[in-house]
Amino acid sequence: MVAGFFKTTMAARVRHSTVAVVAAAALLGGCATGDTGANEPWDPLETPNRFIFSINRAVDVIAIRPVAVLYRDWMPAPAQRGVHNVLDNLGEPVTAINEVVQGDPSRAATTVARFLVNSTIGLAGIFDVATSFGLTRTKEGAGNTVGYYAGVEPENGGFYMVLPLAGPSNARDAAGLMADYAVDPFRILTFALNVDWLLYSGPRWGATVVDVRSRTLYALDDLEKNSVDYYAALRSAYTQQRADIIRQKREKTNPRAELERRDNLALVR
Amino acid sequence: MPLVSRRTVLCLAVAALAVPAQAADGPAAALIEKASGEVIALIKAKTGRDREAGIRAILLSYFDLPFMGQSALGTHWAATPAPQRERFLKAVVSAEARAYSERFGQYGGQTLAVGRTSNRPNGVTVVDSKLSQTSGQPIVIQWELRDAGQGLRITDVKIEGVSMVMTRRSDFNSYIQNHGGKVEPLIEELEKRAGN
Repeated sequence: MVAGFFKTTMAARVRHSTVAVVAAAALLGGCATGDTGANEPWDPLETPNRFIFSINRAVDVIAIRPVAVLYRDWMPAPAQRGVHNVLDNLGEPVTAINEVVQGDPSRAATTVARFLVNSTIGLAGIFDVATSFGLTRTKEGAGNTVGYYAGVEPENGGFYMVLPLAGPSNARDAAGLMADYAVDPFRILTFALNVDWLLYSGPRWGATVVDVRSRTLYALDDLEKNSVDYYAALRSAYTQQRADIIRQKREKTNPRAELERRDNLALVR
Repeated sequence: MPLVSRRTVLCLAVAALAVPAQAADGPAAALIEKASGEVIALIKAKTGRDREAGIRAILLSYFDLPFMGQSALGTHWAATPAPQRERFLKAVVSAEARAYSERFGQYGGQTLAVGRTSNRPNGVTVVDSKLSQTSGQPIVIQWELRDAGQGLRITDVKIEGVSMVMTRRSDFNSYIQNHGGKVEPLIEELEKRAGN
């Protein structure tokens, strides 16, 4: 959820060991038993996870959710769309890199073309002009890439974990987050040029938090209200959704369908 | 197998023009369309308690709720005596009726376009559909149907790849494990929620 904060603090340290971490996650995934989707997610860290989950919820109730509600209800829809487009555009390089690693250079080329078109004609990504040119949007992360290559059921992403602020994740996806952060050209560039965090990192991750949370308001409220154990319900829903995305990837279905899935956690506005 | 098939596009267009969408091929798809049509009509006509009662009636006639409840209880079902099962099912049906009535209460002109139907070897029919929203991209909803003697009934709803029954099972299972491995506390919790 609030992936950005986590990444920002961890980043510098993990840069060099990223490849090792990704490999380790793939191995962990491969070693875990219980390979059918019908099983419960593997959660050996349940006690610490629940602890972090309760802290996350407190932070969410006090700070994040109210902002997300205000944003959803008061920010004009075109502005919300613009913010979302800018954030998507900033993520395109990472998507392209992952698509190359996934062995799909032509799709990566489309993503790069989208990035170039939207960054210029689309005014720094505010308008998604590329889609109207027939360049469809995709979104990839290293978590998907690991899941794509790992020879296990996509429900099996290694052990489940709740990241501080970022929320539900697992070994595969957390390693993916770090890998994506490490290879993000924007991050590398701003580090190299010593750009003040108030100018780039802060606004980007702040906007990501609000954007993502405002899109998940309805789905998460519903899940919380209609479950007897919210932690377990969210754990299951997260695992299923990630598995579904990776399964679509393996089965080579329409990339647009996968994207819609990502965008529509909000269910009903 | 592209999800947005030509037929889906056609269905979307048809649904956008006329809310009581035309019957798609196959009894399973027709059932989903009939149910969604009834729900939309009900939401437009009634509010509050009446709506909840109406949705409950629709749920009971289109969903195989006992089977869903049984699936949600998972391995604990076998170990649960009959009277307890009955109470559990009753509480689950109330909880689901309330949840669905709240979900549908958010209704704001969306249309459900029924797409592809596929049969699984285990006798389950899966109907793909898309819920088109007034703003934003459509939501992918898959309906699983099964005929266990009383005609075709819905046994699971998958929204964006998340199965309601599987999520419920994980939820219940964890609750039971955290309450001494007994089903009774879960039933009491569900009854308490249904009561207020």
